[in-house]
Amino acid sequence: MSELLWQALQQVQGYVYPNEIEVNWSILIVFYPYITGLVAGAFIVASLERVFKVEAVKPTYRLALLTALAFLLAAPLPLVAHLGHPERALEIMFTPHLSSAMAGFGFVYAWYLLIVLLLEIGYDYRKDVVKWARTKRGLKGFLYRLLTMGDYDISKEALKKDEKLVGIITVIGLPSAAFLHGYVGFIFGSVKANPWWSSPLMPIIFLFSAMVSGIALVLLIYMASTKLRGKKLDMKCTDTLAGYLLYTYVLDLSLEFMEIAHLVYVQEEGIDAILTLINDRLFLSFIVIQIFLGTIVPIFLLVMAKTGLFRATIRKIFYIFAALLAMIGVLAMRWNVVIGGQMLSKSFRGFSTYILPIFGIEGLLTAVAIFILPFVLLFIFVKVLPPWEEPPIWESTEHQAVEGNGEG
Amino acid sequence: MRKIHVRVAMVYIVIAIIFLIVRSFIVPPSFGEYGWYRGDSVSEIMNLSVKHAGSYSCSNCHQTEYKAWTTGKHSTVNCESCHGPLKYHVDDPGGSKVEVNATREFCGLCHNENPSRPEGFPQINLESHGNGFTCVTCHNPHYPWFD
Amino acid sequence: MKSTRREFIKNFGKIIPVVFFGLSFKKFIETVSAKENASTHHPGGDYDWNQHYYAFVVDSTKCIGCGRCVVACKEENDVPKEPFYFRTWVERYVWLNGEEEVKVDSPNGGFNGFPVIYDEKEIRKSYYVPKLCNQCDRPPCVQVCPVGATYKTNDGVVLVDEKYCIGCRYCIQACPYGARYLYPKHGEREPRRNTADKCTWCYHRITKGLKPACVEVCPVGARKFGDLKNPDDEINRILDENRVDVLKPEAGTRPKVFYLGIDGAEVR
Repeated sequence: MSELLWQALQQVQGYVYPNEIEVNWSILIVFYPYITGLVAGAFIVASLERVFKVEAVKPTYRLALLTALAFLLAAPLPLVAHLGHPERALEIMFTPHLSSAMAGFGFVYAWYLLIVLLLEIGYDYRKDVVKWARTKRGLKGFLYRLLTMGDYDISKEALKKDEKLVGIITVIGLPSAAFLHGYVGFIFGSVKANPWWSSPLMPIIFLFSAMVSGIALVLLIYMASTKLRGKKLDMKCTDTLAGYLLYTYVLDLSLEFMEIAHLVYVQEEGIDAILTLINDRLFLSFIVIQIFLGTIVPIFLLVMAKTGLFRATIRKIFYIFAALLAMIGVLAMRWNVVIGGQMLSKSFRGFSTYILPIFGIEGLLTAVAIFILPFVLLFIFVKVLPPWEEPPIWESTEHQAVEGNGEG
Repeated sequence: MRKIHVRVAMVYIVIAIIFLIVRSFIVPPSFGEYGWYRGDSVSEIMNLSVKHAGSYSCSNCHQTEYKAWTTGKHSTVNCESCHGPLKYHVDDPGGSKVEVNATREFCGLCHNENPSRPEGFPQINLESHGNGFTCVTCHNPHYPWFD
Repeated sequence: MKSTRREFIKNFGKIIPVVFFGLSFKKFIETVSAKENASTHHPGGDYDWNQHYYAFVVDSTKCIGCGRCVVACKEENDVPKEPFYFRTWVERYVWLNGEEEVKVDSPNGGFNGFPVIYDEKEIRKSYYVPKLCNQCDRPPCVQVCPVGATYKTNDGVVLVDEKYCIGCRYCIQACPYGARYLYPKHGEREPRRNTADKCTWCYHRITKGLKPACVEVCPVGARKFGDLKNPDDEINRILDENRVDVLKPEAGTRPKVFYLGIDGAEVR
């Protein structure tokens, strides 16, 4: 670590306060808003069907919920790994300092996990879980019986109530998802010391970029899982999702534009440093990756797909590229905010350099491992709670099984 | 009330109770004594060890130097500005040794010509002044003379 | 049998939230009332923190850039000697002939003094500016600490609780002056490792009636420290007789380090 600081000292450009040579929020803090953004985005996809009655995206409803859960479980990891004293992490819940934007994390997280996601998934899957609990044996059967919590009532009446309850939870969940991520934006937006962060638009920009990345992620996972299972892709669903990706993208781009336009136009102290930051220090990650490859190109691809000039197979390729670029572009946006903001010295007279270590707790490998984890979790969730629309295996064996295992 | 709702509520209530119990054990007793922080930390910081003893504590033993210093041009410069932190030496004068940096560069920290220093502050050109002799050959640091 | 059980659960379900809110409300009241408490009682022995309120004056016109303050601070407070960790440092401002932009540098924070890098004839104006924590009256670092590990004392000093800090570094980001750093893993003082650290105006000294180490060793009196609540203190005279600047007043932090003889628009 110290070795990297000596290198960073050599690469200082202009004047930075001596304490600013160390870039304190590392790659892990880049991945934290990225992962929570994916949670919020995926949940919003799920609520498209529930709240806004977009029937076309139904095939992705449960998949999106499980994706949100998998990523939510991984979301605190980069934060805790980054702490100087991870063993004190729970203080944030035991003695939350209410004037701190960060103090809300524990409660927002717990609310979202326990009240929104788990309940929504639990009640939505209840019918299936009860059926599986009756038919499956062994460890899996035990798990399902545990998940029923001893209530096997799946009468028409009960299911109708469940349905209603899930509807209510989604309505609560939607603002919660927006809050979960908007609040992450506020953590940065409220730092008045840093002109690259300080902006009331920050929470909204974070939210829209979160929706972009979340929709793109669900789109990719949906397309990949359909392919892996050897099923036919529901093109209507894919087209609709891609349509929503385009709309949020346009909003995201306009918000980002407003933010930059405001910064450049009002010319507050530090604007020269910000312009150098954009045009020089962040040229590759901001102009090339975030704006051009990560925003303009995918918007172009999505618009092309919308024209109706292309066959489904071509559109599919467009979507894959657009979604992949969206994922990369939003990651670049997080990088530009987190790392870019720390490169800019608060003296507005120079720039620090962030040297990304490969190994070590705050290194690239840890970040990648933390990012792979939710995919592993998702794989397990999908195995335990298949989200697919077509009749799962239990239905074909249902009639024989119910006769044999008439408990409940 | 359906069975499932009651069971779910029970699980959450149990979680909340465990949280409150654990919290009551972990939060330090002095937390919130004066404000939203651990009250004991104030006295802990107050009790950190002092390392610079102050010039007056030198006066007892080093009377000659002390007397000269108080009347000379370096009287605004405290003993520890040059000699470093000396609390350990005041506490145990016999058992500890005090190093002093008497190089030309050390005096140059203040007196080498540098255009950023205030006008009128006594400065010399370290390269041309004094033929490379250490400064203390001619100047008594406790009672310096200069034009 | 079944109905009594149900009733029991029902009642139990009512009691728990009441207990829950009761407890948290009690804690809340305790913490709020603690602030009133603090005016009558105080930590640590003879020293009463309600009798003092400190301020610091930096006279830039006197500073000679010798860096003794930086050295003394690091010695007094176990600050690691590497050039990445400073509770106080000294900056040099230089305006060259024919150049509009000021040049600022602070090699190793001024720890080894300042090498001569410009010829006197090239320079329009130049001076040194010592920097330290401003002990803001509205400290953004305290505002953002998620756990209450950094706080403002009644005598107006912002401190860090090294036993409670989780090392999230939000305070380091929030400080407009770059006054905070993360105490490194290899730092001399073991309990402080991996927590945020900053200037305390040598709280362990000033509460014993001593001056901060940097003030103690300054050979030219460029650093003045005093008690605003003590009318005889020199600091009150200095503040009354001079026009003073603070750094980044637009940040709304209300600093308590006052500067004499700086270009307010350029020094930040």
